[in-house]
Amino acid sequence: MKPPRRKGPSALAVGVTVVVVVAHVLAWRATEFSPAALVRGWEGMADFLGQAFPPDLSWRVLGPSLDAALVTLYIGLLGTTLSVPFALGLALLAARTTTPGRWTYQAARSLLSFLRAVPDVVFALIFVTAVGLGPFAGVLALIFHNTGVMGKLWAEAMEEIDLGPRDALRVSGASGIQTAAHAVLPAVVPQFVGLLLYRFDVNVRASLVLGLVGAGGIGFLINQSIKLFRFDEMATHILVVLVLVVAVDQLSAFVRRGLT
Amino acid sequence: MSEAALVIRGLRKSYSGRQVLDSLDLDVRSGELVALLGANGCGKSTALRCAVGLETPDGGTVRVDGRPAMVFQQIHLVRRRSAIDNVCAGALGRLPLRRSLTPALFPRELREEAMACLDRVGLADRAAERAGRLSGGQQQRVAIARALCQRANVVLADEPVSALDPSAAEQVVALLADLAHQRGLAVGAVLHQPALARRHADRIVGMVAGRVVLDSPAVAVGDADVDALYLPAVTR
Ligand SMILES: Nc1ncnc2c1ncn2[C@@H]1O[C@H](COP(=O)(O)OP(=O)(O)O)[C@@H](O)[C@H]1O
Ligand SMILES: [Mg+2]
Repeated sequence: MKPPRRKGPSALAVGVTVVVVVAHVLAWRATEFSPAALVRGWEGMADFLGQAFPPDLSWRVLGPSLDAALVTLYIGLLGTTLSVPFALGLALLAARTTTPGRWTYQAARSLLSFLRAVPDVVFALIFVTAVGLGPFAGVLALIFHNTGVMGKLWAEAMEEIDLGPRDALRVSGASGIQTAAHAVLPAVVPQFVGLLLYRFDVNVRASLVLGLVGAGGIGFLINQSIKLFRFDEMATHILVVLVLVVAVDQLSAFVRRGLT
Repeated sequence: MSEAALVIRGLRKSYSGRQVLDSLDLDVRSGELVALLGANGCGKSTALRCAVGLETPDGGTVRVDGRPAMVFQQIHLVRRRSAIDNVCAGALGRLPLRRSLTPALFPRELREEAMACLDRVGLADRAAERAGRLSGGQQQRVAIARALCQRANVVLADEPVSALDPSAAEQVVALLADLAHQRGLAVGAVLHQPALARRHADRIVGMVAGRVVLDSPAVAVGDADVDALYLPAVTR
């Protein structure tokens, strides 16, 4: 018996391949991607690294660096926890398992999409103009952006649960809020905490970048030392950042392991 | 005789053009356990889900004395919560929102009533245990205690013992029969073990393809009557 002939690539596959290749060519040009420029610029890099090492580990630099790192941590912490009530409220409206109706569902989904689509840095720039330079603007920016991201993640966690326990309570006459509180939320506590810790981790790193645009913390110090060409101080700050990020990452991984 | 606690008349339901329930009539009176038998896919679950309002029928009427309670094969407790918190949840419908947002707010009388319900199903000593840690049979009895705490007059059970071992199954069906006979509940239970149904049920209702084809006292049902319910469609 003859095996069936293998089919050639479909028109769709050919079309997709062409589009992807063209997109890469255009992107290569638009970003002025040039390995040659990187090689030509090695002297500048070497110069920069030469000035950055050894890092200035004197207390004059390290002290303020640690203080600022703590502020960065605090910005990430408050930005995460203060977004919890908003994320929770919107997630309950934006999950098919708990939403009171189609219109609230759509409205909540749209609001979450908007908050997620606007980068935290853009929120920070907006709030810096409103409340001035400093960490408060960073906290506000994280609250807004994180509400969008965490609200969506939480809503999706609630949409994935088994609906049986909710139906059982619904039959008995429990209201929508009651079924959410007694059937849906208890089922997703581990996922919620895991996502919360993950977002805390991300937000601490994000608050670094927010510092670069003037929203306080160690990012602000990195920005200043670059402007003043004090690359050895910058290297110190980056080392501190490295320690902070690894510590937060380990902590959140540790807690998440304990959870399951 | 007074009207049954659950009265279903002319219930019709179809999914994407396929008729699943075809003018189904069913009564369950207070104080009796009715066993519902029928092959897979004949519409038993759909009938119960329509009766409790989880599905909207295309036609027909459902009259229930009070709010029904439903017991499921998959049990559907909140596994992370204690047995007693799960039982208390049966009463949510009559609690004001401010006393019901978390188990910590449940009134003391409710916790006492829930304890009594757990005691009724023989699990008072496991009240503080997480539901997910109990055996399948124990979980199903907690679910029945939840129905008691709801003070439901009508309890519908969809294959409540299909996932249980024979002795746990026996215990759960006996409990349902007791509750019907002693508390006067109207209990309708889908069962897949005809022997179990004959031993405990007062009445047996048989369904084929969305219709009731058998409805008689359990003692009057013979092997041939039961076998006829499970014949392949071609030979019917
Ligand atoms: N939500 C649904 N959507 C589409 N078809 C369904 C749905 N629920 C049940 N059915 C179909 O209806 C028929 C009866 O199902 P069911 O009531 O669960 O039967 P039983 O409980 O007697 O085994 C089956 O053929 C099933 O596939
Ligand atoms: Mg079924």
